[in-house]
Amino acid sequence: MGKPNDLVQGTLDLLILKTISLEPMHGWALAKRIQQISQDVLRVQQGSLYPALHRLEQQAWIKGHWGETETGRQAKLYSLTRAGRVQLERELANWGRLSHAINLVAGMA
Amino acid sequence: MRSLDKLRLRLRSLFWRARVEAELAAELSFHLEQQIAENLAAGMSAQEARHAALRVFGGVTQIQERCREMRGNRWLEQLLQDLSYALRALRRSPVFALVAIFSLALGIGANTAIFSLIDALLLRTLPVRDATRLVAVGNPARVGSMSSGSVRNDLFSCPLYEQIRSQNQVFTDVFASGRTGKLTVGTSASSEKTETARGRLVSGNYFSLLGVNAFRGRTFTAQEDRGSGAAPFVVISHGYWQKHFARDDAVIGRRILLNGFPFTIIGVAPPEFFGDIVGVPTEIWIPLSMQGQVNPGRVYKDRWDVGWLLLMGRLKPGVSIARARAEINVLFPRILAERAGSSFSRDLLPRTDKMGVEVTPGAAGFSALRREFSQPLFTLMGIVALVLVVACANVANLLLERAMARRKEIAVRLALGAGPARLIRQLLTESVLLSALGGALGLLFALWAGTALLRLVGVSTSAALDLHPDPLVLAFTAGVSIVTGLLFGLAPALRATRVELAPTLKESARSVAGSGSGARWPLAKLLVVAQFAVSLLLVTGAGLFVRTLQNLQHLDLGYARDSLLLVNVDPVMAGYKGARLASFPRELAERLQALPGVTAVSYSENGIFSGTESSTSVRVEGFKSPPSGDPSINYDRVGASYFRTIGIPLLDGRDFGPRDGVGAPGVAVVNEAMAKQYFPAVNPIGKRLVITGPPDVEFEIVGVSRDVRDHDLRAAVPPRFYIPLLQSGDFDVAPNFEIRTRKPAALVEPIRRSLQAFDRNLPMRDLAPLTSMIDDSITNERIIAKLSAVFGVLGLLLASLGLYGVISYTIARRVNEIGIRMALGARRPRVLWMVLSETLVLALAGIVLGVPAALGLAGVVKSRLFGLSASDPATLVTATGVLILVAVLAGVIPGSRATRVNPVQALRYE
Repeated sequence: MGKPNDLVQGTLDLLILKTISLEPMHGWALAKRIQQISQDVLRVQQGSLYPALHRLEQQAWIKGHWGETETGRQAKLYSLTRAGRVQLERELANWGRLSHAINLVAGMA
Repeated sequence: MRSLDKLRLRLRSLFWRARVEAELAAELSFHLEQQIAENLAAGMSAQEARHAALRVFGGVTQIQERCREMRGNRWLEQLLQDLSYALRALRRSPVFALVAIFSLALGIGANTAIFSLIDALLLRTLPVRDATRLVAVGNPARVGSMSSGSVRNDLFSCPLYEQIRSQNQVFTDVFASGRTGKLTVGTSASSEKTETARGRLVSGNYFSLLGVNAFRGRTFTAQEDRGSGAAPFVVISHGYWQKHFARDDAVIGRRILLNGFPFTIIGVAPPEFFGDIVGVPTEIWIPLSMQGQVNPGRVYKDRWDVGWLLLMGRLKPGVSIARARAEINVLFPRILAERAGSSFSRDLLPRTDKMGVEVTPGAAGFSALRREFSQPLFTLMGIVALVLVVACANVANLLLERAMARRKEIAVRLALGAGPARLIRQLLTESVLLSALGGALGLLFALWAGTALLRLVGVSTSAALDLHPDPLVLAFTAGVSIVTGLLFGLAPALRATRVELAPTLKESARSVAGSGSGARWPLAKLLVVAQFAVSLLLVTGAGLFVRTLQNLQHLDLGYARDSLLLVNVDPVMAGYKGARLASFPRELAERLQALPGVTAVSYSENGIFSGTESSTSVRVEGFKSPPSGDPSINYDRVGASYFRTIGIPLLDGRDFGPRDGVGAPGVAVVNEAMAKQYFPAVNPIGKRLVITGPPDVEFEIVGVSRDVRDHDLRAAVPPRFYIPLLQSGDFDVAPNFEIRTRKPAALVEPIRRSLQAFDRNLPMRDLAPLTSMIDDSITNERIIAKLSAVFGVLGLLLASLGLYGVISYTIARRVNEIGIRMALGARRPRVLWMVLSETLVLALAGIVLGVPAALGLAGVVKSRLFGLSASDPATLVTATGVLILVAVLAGVIPGSRATRVNPVQALRYE
């Protein structure tokens, strides 16, 4: 699998916050969802995913709680907090600015 | 909300660590299982699926560790780990821990004790509303003073206070407070038993300006300022209420007699409020308007020429103290210029041109002790800091020794992959833990020592200075503890982690000798050298201060100091007036004279070492004072046989006698200094001297007395003259009686009884031998001498412990070598000398380093010395001798142990 894409620090936060803003989910589902939506371009390594989740939880942007999965197993599900929603808006705005700027530079004739 | 959530998470991961860890493990294994399930679904075998999942997943432990780091209180967790490890390590070597903690407790305790004195006296603010906006006007040290004869700029009269209060633009309000003098408290007129209390006369706005509300009843209002004698009300302190009224609420409305005048208690002050004077808590507050009733016979409330009030203002918002100072210093001379000639005679204007009024921050209140003791306290602070340095060096040495013993353990830990930074942190945690324990013990020690120190030096106000540790003292102790912990821990920790792994691990447990730094002067020895250098400073300082005290105590005063007994009495307060008052001193002198054991009795207004002195301006025929010079000169009004009684030799002329009474021609005796200044060429006998009035009063000089030290031990004897009290025309004095006797101490009680028999109502003060009055006048010097001696011994003790430890340790490591030497025929004295010389080299190195430092530091305290130079060779030589002696003692014990080494055993030792 290699490392097809090194996620810029901070971008991972955006991906996680955005993805779980749709519905609470556990780490495994989160990784799968990101991979699936990005059409296999973005693959989050476990070694980055869990520390990132714990960091975001520590910042009180997401909240972890134990719940049942669709298969009936106990798993730690993460959901967005109110502060996390604000943070997500901020990250989205940042990202919009950044990608627009990069597009401008990259699109130079 | 968010920060609360964060805190909750942190606490959770700190205190429910096992649960958090279990959750983390479960979360990760869930992920792994999902991966395996996916792999199985993709058609792998069970084993393949598992292996592939693990491969993708990477190191589980690493991920866990990184998740833990995300928790944010990793450092706290590690600290707790380090702490519990350090505690275990200390428990394993209790002797080391005890010695270290105890030396630190002594060092930190001494620092805390002195600091708490500094805090109580200099730093603490009054427990009142917004104390930082308070400003003291006048000399804040003159809390119990009164001075008459001129308008003053350091103490204010009541009319002047009222002018300043109403005319200034910088204060929201200004209160005044002043002495009551001796205050006796009785409950009924017939009561035999009276007690004295510490009272303060205050203006009606005193409590409201300070923002102090009554604990019971009410405090004063502007009402209490109206009219003289119209407000016989007092507020008592919480302590006084507790002590004398058993916290009875019915105290409000009770009547008490103050100096015989009935007052009504209207309120009790809150417990924390001790008044405006630090070190002398007020017990009874009385309205200013009652001054005449509190001091019967001496009404000066409305006089401009009696200064007795200190003022305290509260700055208006936005006004700085600098602006207040500027304004007061414009206002003060303006008021005087306006009022001189109308409200008071121009002659009462201050004689000097220096009319500056002191305007200083008032947050810490007034204090007579502050100016006197701040200098010595800072000197002592420096001394105890040095003691702490010596103690630190000791502990550092102990730690070094321990680090040597733990080399293997540390090497193993390094080999297993512990980072040096982490290890240093661990070792520092241990040393800070040591110093924290030492600090805690030191705090207890300081609590006891603070009052003990005051008692040691005989400061009678010990009960009054609140030495309870406030947050500032606690912060100081904590700060000192942590800093010392890092200070003495750092070098050993750095040294300990600089281990070469392979050789250390290969070493057998015993053969430590020969390895290590291999330097000629290892750190341990350098520390001992430093300790001796610092000890030399301490011992030299102690020597200088002790000899200063001795010089002062044995100074030739010009008369014998050990055969005089003094007492001050106040006939005016006892109600004497007119002719009775005029004859009072002579009558009492005759009464005392009749007591067995008394050889002579005389009296004087200012006494000897009483702290009061008079001065006046004089005109002397044939003498012109330089225009800029101060024409005033010290003088005293004395009784018959004054010079014979004190024992002051007369160089020429005669003593005062019974014939120099009222109506007889005025006579005066001048001292040598005055004779030299005013009559450089001629014999002063028969010359005339005029005390300028109005009215002028003329005296003929009938004697010249030797210069004697009667008020100050240090300063040069100033020109002074004496006139008979009876010829001064004013009998409103509280005379000091000087009683000549062989055994002053034994006569204290008979004199007291005789005074009481003479007049039961006669207030008396300071009944004591002259020697104790002189001791009181050099309290400062006694404090410094005693305490610096105590701390010098303490420092020396710690240093010798350090030396002893290092030498013992070296000997233990050289048992083998000593064994060989002895086997080859070295004699015991030679072995002993070998050890001793090593000890002496260390001590001498310390002394060589210490001497220049001692000379340098002695320069700093030069102003505190008397009768010897800061580089006094005798002191320096003695200090050096003491240090060498201590070094020899510290070396002899391990040395003689070395001589008892059995060569056969020593050789087998390895």
